[in-house]
Amino acid sequence: MTAPAPTTPADPAPTGPASTSAMVEVDGCTRWFGDVVAVSEVSFTLQAGVTALLGPNGAGKSTLLRLLCGLVAPARGTVRVLGRDPRRDIGVHRDLGLVPQQETVFDRLTALELVETCALLRGISEPRDAAAGALAAVELDPADPRHLPTYSRGMRQRVKVAQAIVHEPAVLVLDEPLTGLDPRQRRHMTDLFHRLGDEGRCVIVSSHVLEEVERFGSDVLVIVQGRLAAEGDYRAIRDLMDDRPHRIRLRTDRPHEVAGRLLAAGTVLGLEVTGADTVIVETDRVHDLRGTVASVARVVDAHLWEVVPLDDDLDSVFRYLVGR
Amino acid sequence: MTAPAPATAPRDRSSGSPPGSFRRLYAVFLRHQLTWGRAAVILGLGALAVVVGLALRSGADDQVTAGTEFINGFAFTTVVPICALVFASSSLGDTVDDRTLVYLWLTPVGRWRVAGAATLASITVALPLVFVPLVLAAAATGAGPALVGATAVACIVGTVGYAGVFAALGLRVRRALLWGIAYILIWEGFVATASDTAAKLSLRAYTASILSQYTGVGLRLGSLTLVSGIVVPLVVGVAFVGVTTWLLTRVTVD
Repeated sequence: MTAPAPTTPADPAPTGPASTSAMVEVDGCTRWFGDVVAVSEVSFTLQAGVTALLGPNGAGKSTLLRLLCGLVAPARGTVRVLGRDPRRDIGVHRDLGLVPQQETVFDRLTALELVETCALLRGISEPRDAAAGALAAVELDPADPRHLPTYSRGMRQRVKVAQAIVHEPAVLVLDEPLTGLDPRQRRHMTDLFHRLGDEGRCVIVSSHVLEEVERFGSDVLVIVQGRLAAEGDYRAIRDLMDDRPHRIRLRTDRPHEVAGRLLAAGTVLGLEVTGADTVIVETDRVHDLRGTVASVARVVDAHLWEVVPLDDDLDSVFRYLVGR
Repeated sequence: MTAPAPATAPRDRSSGSPPGSFRRLYAVFLRHQLTWGRAAVILGLGALAVVVGLALRSGADDQVTAGTEFINGFAFTTVVPICALVFASSSLGDTVDDRTLVYLWLTPVGRWRVAGAATLASITVALPLVFVPLVLAAAATGAGPALVGATAVACIVGTVGYAGVFAALGLRVRRALLWGIAYILIWEGFVATASDTAAKLSLRAYTASILSQYTGVGLRLGSLTLVSGIVVPLVVGVAFVGVTTWLLTRVTVD
């Protein structure tokens, strides 16, 4: 196996992955196919870093990613990548990388030939070296003489990632990039995407595997039925969902006393003593509750062993948004 | 394990298409065009033409007329358009069907280069497969060098013209083979015979005219000049590269 290329500082595009202006701007984008509205009035901007695009199957995630790359034209609204229209201005494709959802790749090429071709077509002057480096980055052997159809699904997925990063794009669009990968490779890819985001690239990744999305970071776009349901840090999104009481688990040696005092304090909407040492509290004033719990514990001389939010993880936020 | 970084590669930042892109695209298309199945079908048709040509040589009273009518009727109404259809419609059509077009489309390469490379690759594959057996078939009829020369010229211009048309068709429609066969049967085979004006809109009229002008044998649809017979299909081929280029700018890529 060819040794991976040495790690070197990124070669940012002149348009600047680390610039402070939005790297991706979507404004009022709508796209329909026949009678089906795939994306409706979606607006957002993205900066450098990793952003996860979440949504149930058929929500419009892939259509939105295709709009970002210019593969499909919006019926209404505009898309700008590094300030340029990816549909009309093909020059911006030098700074765009895409891992498409489909598994198919050119079946008469080797991995090196495919990635080298993509590098050359995107303006890399030493495409073979760049392709070998990109394949090594995804832990594939550039010297492997086999054609791509003989590769496993996970290996083909890694080839798709290699062709997307080979030209070091400022904006990287990844449509379900972890599909077919084993757990170790999923971890490896997650680290790779994270690092690309840390280098100042704008990385947008769609996935339905929420545990892995959480590893990408906390910035999310949630799309439901073609509409943008929420964007930003998912914990902040959760805080804004005031129609959904927060559920918090307390573990203490005096659950009944703590529960009674909390009810009297008026900072909880409801609670339930679920075990010898456990109280489940529902509140719409989560920040007030934390102070109240501490003072109540002091008053009743209780030991607090645990105060754990039960529904501010990404999975809960996602379920609430999708279930609305 | 820490992921190694991809190599930081020197990039060509010029605004035009990357150097070498046409040649690379041409190589990719070429590699994906020629399959054993397709080649077998085309070579089978060519072999049939040679066999019939030999049969004509031994059986016909007027070998020039019989040979010219056979070459016109079989080679240029069936073998050349079908061969061009099979290869040209698949050049971009296959990338649409298997959804690999995205790898070629999401590049800063001028669309005319993609269209031109696809069309040129299909001509590169199709032309030898029709040229060699049909020229042999023309020689086998015993009609003489005029028919052989006419067949060679008509093969080249006909393949270029049809390849341009069918490359665009492959990008525009699904099941391009069926649409192409319908075009060959209905338009080239039927509508073109309705009037002189309709004939001028049929590539078959131009290849027939080349045969007719070279050999002096009067052929249906073969009344155009030799110059127009040679030039118009080439212009059609180039014009349809333009059409394919335009389609590529408007295509929805899966």
